[in-house]
Amino acid sequence: MHFSNLYSFSNSLFGIGLLALLLSSCTREKGIAPVAVAYEFAAPAEFPDPIYTFKNNPITKEGFLLGKRLFFDPILSADHTISCASCHIQSLAFADVPLHGVSVGVNGLSGTRNAPALANLAFKPEFFWDGGVTHLDFAPLNAIESEFEMGSCIEDVIEKLNAHPQYPSLFRQAFTTEKVTTPYLLYALAQFMNRMISDQSPYDQYLAGTAKLSEPEIRGMDLFQQHCASCHDGILFTDYSYRNNGLDSLAIDPGRARISAFAGDHGKFQVPSLRNVGVTAPYMHDARFRTLEAVLDHYSEGVVASPTLDMSLQRGDQLGIQLTDSEKAAIIAFLHTLTDRDFLNDPLFRRE
Amino acid sequence: MQSLTALLGLLNLIFFKPYNAIKMNHLNKISILFFLLLNLFFTACEKDNPTPGEDFGTFDLIFDNRVGDQAVSLVNADATEFPYTNNMGQSFNLTLLGYYISKIELAGPNGEYFADEISTGADAAQVKGFYHVLESDPNSQNIRLDRIPAGKYDQVTFTLGIDAETVQEGATGGVLDPAEGAWLWNWDAGYIAFGIEGRSPASPREADQFNPENGVQIHIGGWKDIAGNANMVNNVKRITLDFPSAVNIESRLSPNAHLEMDLLKVLDGHANNVDFSTTYAVHAPAKGKVFADNLAAAFSVDHVHQ
Repeated sequence: MHFSNLYSFSNSLFGIGLLALLLSSCTREKGIAPVAVAYEFAAPAEFPDPIYTFKNNPITKEGFLLGKRLFFDPILSADHTISCASCHIQSLAFADVPLHGVSVGVNGLSGTRNAPALANLAFKPEFFWDGGVTHLDFAPLNAIESEFEMGSCIEDVIEKLNAHPQYPSLFRQAFTTEKVTTPYLLYALAQFMNRMISDQSPYDQYLAGTAKLSEPEIRGMDLFQQHCASCHDGILFTDYSYRNNGLDSLAIDPGRARISAFAGDHGKFQVPSLRNVGVTAPYMHDARFRTLEAVLDHYSEGVVASPTLDMSLQRGDQLGIQLTDSEKAAIIAFLHTLTDRDFLNDPLFRRE
Repeated sequence: MQSLTALLGLLNLIFFKPYNAIKMNHLNKISILFFLLLNLFFTACEKDNPTPGEDFGTFDLIFDNRVGDQAVSLVNADATEFPYTNNMGQSFNLTLLGYYISKIELAGPNGEYFADEISTGADAAQVKGFYHVLESDPNSQNIRLDRIPAGKYDQVTFTLGIDAETVQEGATGGVLDPAEGAWLWNWDAGYIAFGIEGRSPASPREADQFNPENGVQIHIGGWKDIAGNANMVNNVKRITLDFPSAVNIESRLSPNAHLEMDLLKVLDGHANNVDFSTTYAVHAPAKGKVFADNLAAAFSVDHVHQ
């Protein structure tokens, strides 16, 4: 992914591929060979099988580029001020800026939950902090229609796209459809998002045997395995379960119970992936912690009892996971090895 | 050739009407054998006459919506007449009524079986076997089933709502496209199986941008029946209804069944009497369950036309 401006290699005419090669040779960095960009989805070998329905919506160059254009286009919002990219910023692993603990939508309205980072979505079974959405296709509808985010209704968005000078022909090229409809809009956005694979962090390189981790990082990895991995499990650093991690004695936000209406789910939120966690501050569903240090202080000393507190955070009368300052520092050092600079800088995801 | 076989069949019937064996003499038996063989011979040579397994017909399912013994007639949100009354004696009217019917199957007493074709996809033309029955659209209340193997049928089964398998296919067009009027919840993504909206003087609801004064909205959704969702309420119902008499389906016939949905049975089921003074905004699976559990009993086959 080092030369991602080479769109055309895998799937276009030879002539265009050749042109791209010529152009790219001018921008090649020293010592790095140009890499052909494949738009097709390819799951990293260490990852589980993807669960997205690619049989209905495989990634194509045209669909991906259309999805990218839509991702950056405020046409999706009621007053043409907010795009997906307003709150999902690539250099922050597609999370929002630290200043916006909760994002700001149309009419200056603020939401109630922290905008999640976006990566490896094809492997994710349920979306949003409460998991209310079970398919990536439907995820953007929440943002498009939320009065705190884009404040649109989908009928208006489809009407605007159909009346646009360029979008109808872009949809025709991507999907051979005569009309822009909701499922094709959602397909295009899903293609762009599904291609967001983050698997080139120092930790991944360590696993592949192509890089070494420092001594504190290795120590942090061992401590992480011991204290954190029961929830932040596996290669994606989440088991996608819903848990109350002891933030409040009575959570204001019902979390998972908003979807299940089950009292036992009150104050539970989906365990987030920790990939790129070093650049996605602030933390927790309500963005209450500004730093990873504050997060680990919480787990070590700040866990509060409540009826739905996760069992893994209580041992008898002892709440939380007791860590020394040096252990916390080591775990944080390890968490920073999950930051995938290639992903944060990949030109493939940049606005055209 | 067709007419000749028919004629022979008719002769068979006329000459050997008394099938009672006691009345038959040997001559009759030989004649029957002769005619049967002749019949078989001509049938075997025929090319254009449908034989069992090759003939197909249509069948219409016609949905009539009622409130008790009254037919439903929708009004505008500013209407001040309230023609229906629930078991609590609360009057109400209706501005919207509808539901999704999908995955229809027909079955007969002799193993006849038909499953309506099901497919999903982004293109509206790919979406088959899903029907949004709306009181406001008479055409939507008449579901035409096609390519049904000829035979006798006496039972219909359908899904009320859009099930997990379909939702998990992702974005879908046609009657499942929210910009085309599909009833899709975005926050708990999935489709509303059954919905009514209207007004009741008993409802304390104040007017706002989404609701009229005294508004009543009951949206029954919730479909989650997937791993890791143990606490979810699945309100999608599979409903089987028997016909009062069997119908013959074949290419030269156009039979239909009139299905009735009685809204009072949804609102006032065995487990509850709806009270519009407290229940007037149902917009989540768990709140809809008490109504969803009444849905199967609310549908019946009123009559069939052969």
